[in-house]
Amino acid sequence: MTEVELLLPDGLEPERLAAAVASDGFELVRADGAGQAHRVYYDTFDGRLRAAGAPAVHVGGRLLFDSVTASLQRPLRRVLAEDLPAGPLRETLGPLIEVRALLPLAALDVSEQHLRVLDAEHKTVVRASIERSALADSGAALRPRLRLAAVRGYDAELERVRGALQRELGLERSATGLADDAVTALGGKPGGFSSKVDVQLHFGQRADAAAVAVLRRLLEVIEQNLEGTIEDLDSEFLHDLRVAVRRTRSVQRQLKRVFPPEELARFRAEFKWLQGVTGESRDLDVYLLGFEDMRALVPASLRDELKPLRHALQTRRAAVREQMVSELRSERLGALRDRWSALLDQLQTLPDHDRPDAAEPIGSVSARRIAKVYRKVVHEGRAIAEDGPSKPFHELRKRGKELRYLLELFGTPLYPHDVVKPMIKTLKGLQDVLGRHQDREVQVATLSSLAAALPSEPGPLLATGALIARLDEDKWAARADFGRRFGAFAGHEQRQLVKETFT
Amino acid sequence: MSRVLAVYNIKGGVGKTSTAVNLAYLAATGGARTLLWDLDPQAASTFLFRVKPKVRGGPRKLLRRRSDVAGSIKGTDFKLLDLLPADFRYRHMDLALDRFKRPRTRLAKVLEPLRSEYSYIFLDCPPSISLVSESVFEAADALLVPMIPATLSSRTLDQLEPLVDRRGPQILAFLSMLDLNRPLHRELLHRLRATHPSTMLGAAIPVADEVERMGEERAVVASFAPTSPAARAYEALWLDVRFRLSNSLPRI
Repeated sequence: MTEVELLLPDGLEPERLAAAVASDGFELVRADGAGQAHRVYYDTFDGRLRAAGAPAVHVGGRLLFDSVTASLQRPLRRVLAEDLPAGPLRETLGPLIEVRALLPLAALDVSEQHLRVLDAEHKTVVRASIERSALADSGAALRPRLRLAAVRGYDAELERVRGALQRELGLERSATGLADDAVTALGGKPGGFSSKVDVQLHFGQRADAAAVAVLRRLLEVIEQNLEGTIEDLDSEFLHDLRVAVRRTRSVQRQLKRVFPPEELARFRAEFKWLQGVTGESRDLDVYLLGFEDMRALVPASLRDELKPLRHALQTRRAAVREQMVSELRSERLGALRDRWSALLDQLQTLPDHDRPDAAEPIGSVSARRIAKVYRKVVHEGRAIAEDGPSKPFHELRKRGKELRYLLELFGTPLYPHDVVKPMIKTLKGLQDVLGRHQDREVQVATLSSLAAALPSEPGPLLATGALIARLDEDKWAARADFGRRFGAFAGHEQRQLVKETFT
Repeated sequence: MSRVLAVYNIKGGVGKTSTAVNLAYLAATGGARTLLWDLDPQAASTFLFRVKPKVRGGPRKLLRRRSDVAGSIKGTDFKLLDLLPADFRYRHMDLALDRFKRPRTRLAKVLEPLRSEYSYIFLDCPPSISLVSESVFEAADALLVPMIPATLSSRTLDQLEPLVDRRGPQILAFLSMLDLNRPLHRELLHRLRATHPSTMLGAAIPVADEVERMGEERAVVASFAPTSPAARAYEALWLDVRFRLSNSLPRI
């Protein structure tokens, strides 16, 4: 169905609208169903629904998205896909929002007056409504709008009606939806917040300036995800926060020669602390998010016996989160943010006698780093024995992450896509195997440590034991995949390409 | 689950269009997404809903498997009720069907993609027995057969029943233009119910000015005379039809 929204000047009478459409032979009449409505618009923090069309809206005890609805008695502080009743809305939203929560964007009180536009046969061809809305909290009024929707098969008539209204009354077409206007009026940002870095760099830019541009954006990502992490709105806040911290630390290491060494050492310690205090919470999130998949690993007859394990994970998560939240609210973090931001502001003005790479072009500094870390990954990977100890796998994984961040943050904006993209892809293939190996190992250790918290009945212990055995098996399966993935990443052709590109 | 309901009788002037538009209206206002396909080149249903009786490309294009049937659908004044309009060229529908390898399954194929969008699809069929009606029998889940109270009415059922084989649509017949003050009508009603208990519905449509006024008002009875006996009778008929549909056993 085609829809158009026009902005109305305050106090415009419907009679003037009627006269305008009459100029093209249409008749405007009142329709039933005028009334007041309280609307709450919802979207994920990163604006996924708006990107897919428009935010969801809660009105009259139902949540509506893309003409699919489900019953939801009260507007909630957050709505996860699993909070919705099974049905078409959950099926539509689930794949879009995944683990993200729908959060209220804005609440509006809207008065609607419904109208119909008839053609010469007195047939309804366009449904119209005048919407007068105000922010529910402050009562601040938004610009009234006329919403026009073509009856199916009458798009041409809608265009004529819109044309007549714009021609006769000079009405403006609304460039943004009502939800966007409300978000803007509340001081928010329509479309939400992305955690992508996407910073423009150029090859000859001073390395310290490029580092500041990337690190400033990463600090922004950390800060924008802090509140959602503390409030536990969904698990992606903590995830995105941790990725930004890890990337920050990676840039600190890889471009250390653009910073004054003593100050950098202090900040590296502080960011390490921040990474540390958020680690266990994230691990537990991962267990709980993947619990159904883990359940599927044990024999069907034992699956219900995993309930106490889930409960133990939830209990530990709550305790660990409490600790994390108090650290995230601490003055220590506040001071870290302020001081780090101040350093980024000043960095380019600091003397560079102890910052040998500061004035170098970022193109050559990053090429050197990418080539060097790549060589190290190849070297360390070659030394790995499939049935050897775990440590070299973990070390290689860390090194691989370092390379991946370099490629994403500096490789993508500065080097040809047809080199960087496939390189990231094969690296990702390798990292997936190493990640699975690492995850399984940590999971086996965590679950074993939880055994004491389980009831001392045979069922839960047996089930947890079976799960541990399957996870351990999968760890070895990941090792068996390693050789192939590493081969793709460290082959002769790839090594040549790296040598030629990053010099 | 989507249901295709064809309003059909070999004879004309028995109240097919009135039945189709009033029941389609009741289905839609009851909350079900509903489509009415006006297959009759006389275009009476199309006229009642004030839609232009024209389909781009005519029946030939409409019947082509990949043609955009959905693009020819028009919304009516009622939110959940859409119309696939009639076209004067539907008078050549037999010829258009005959060009296909399996003409009898053609309508069912055209309707297939619409079944996911609509809960009810009503077919307002032209009177006659032809390739079009055979294609309708193949596509429909039920035939709604309005009959005028005449002694020959039972012949309609006798003729229809063998045409629709065991795997064909359920037949739901009822009397329209019924005048219970006339002994002949009363007697006929009782006789038909006795002789065709599984096909004759309990509901019937009375002879009423409101039904005739539909053409003048260009509206369904329920919208301009909601409390009239005719409006009530259509409601009872729709209830009866839904009851029979929900109780129908799968045919073997």
